[in-house]
Amino acid sequence: MRRLLLALLLVTACGSSNQAEPTTPELPEIDLAGFQKVLGDLDRPAVVNVWTSWCLPCRAEAPLLREAHAEFGEEIAFIGIDYDDSQRGARLFLDEFDLPFIHYFDRDGVTIAEYGGIGVPRTYFFATGGQLIKVHNGAIDEQTLALQIDELLNR
Amino acid sequence: MEFTLLWAALTAFAGALLAIRLIKRTVPDRPLDRIVGAAVAGIAVGRVAAVIMQGTNPFTNPGELLIIRGGVDTVWASLAGLATLVWPLRRTPTALDAIAPAALTALAGWHGGCLWRSSCLGTISDLPWAWALPGSDITRHPVEIYAAVLFLAGAWTVRWIKSPVGAAAAMALFWAGLARLATEPVRPSLGAGLWWFYALATVMGLAIAGLLVLMTRQPADKATANPYPPV
Repeated sequence: MRRLLLALLLVTACGSSNQAEPTTPELPEIDLAGFQKVLGDLDRPAVVNVWTSWCLPCRAEAPLLREAHAEFGEEIAFIGIDYDDSQRGARLFLDEFDLPFIHYFDRDGVTIAEYGGIGVPRTYFFATGGQLIKVHNGAIDEQTLALQIDELLNR
Repeated sequence: MEFTLLWAALTAFAGALLAIRLIKRTVPDRPLDRIVGAAVAGIAVGRVAAVIMQGTNPFTNPGELLIIRGGVDTVWASLAGLATLVWPLRRTPTALDAIAPAALTALAGWHGGCLWRSSCLGTISDLPWAWALPGSDITRHPVEIYAAVLFLAGAWTVRWIKSPVGAAAAMALFWAGLARLATEPVRPSLGAGLWWFYALATVMGLAIAGLLVLMTRQPADKATANPYPPV
């Protein structure tokens, strides 16, 4: 057992330390008015995901969001809001997970608070025009995400 | 574990417990331990597989293994769960037969646990029993309830199978595959879904049960021949 633990420790120590310079450009900052304008200008429903680079459940759900974007990215706008984070941390996160949709940097962490919800991650589902349909607190699972997307597309 | 998932897990456990109490068949030692052990092994292996397939190194990010909500790979989870249940009992297939209805009832409990999680709904339907998400007027199939009913039907059917040895366990595999295969078309998912995996389980369960019946059936001439012919 000790040998196994030692081996695991060695493998862990050999892992990448993520110290490289991020390649993703700096995220544009956004405030509540700017976010409402973004929503209002959309001609389609939107899925807004609030994340931070230091949150484990955000990392766990990121691949699911990438998959959902690949499947529904043309019918639904996907928007990420990085909250309570550093630009560097956010850019490293996006380097790692390759989420190919627009992400904003919410310096004060208040942009999306207007719409309710608690903690990170959070996922908001907006109908065309910006009407809030649903807030999902915590990491979202595939079935819930697929169901809410289907709900947005059939309204 | 997340609170709503915990309730679904407890519902599954209660289902297995109830089935073992109701079905008066000789069960192996610690049947509930075996079922819960299989479920835990399935979740653990399925989560590790999901993390690796999503491109994350589980050694450098071990904390991600704990976020079950991030996804469990169904194929690896099912294989690990089945292996954990079947391997220790491989020499006593009667024990597997005895556990089979309880395992199916546990799966019914897990799917029926959608009521605690408010996640029962599937694709759009205007059938009389369809219902809508809160605040919506779009009615949908209660797909998880369909699955739970199918798992219960399987448990009920399997409990009456007494011979040949192993047939009840094989038919449990058939019902488990069928319950998911039949509900897959009305289940919301990203991508194509895992219909092939459920179809494979359905066919394998039926094939194993059929083979067991064929292997234990005596040839008709031998069975009817009188071993003591009149002199």
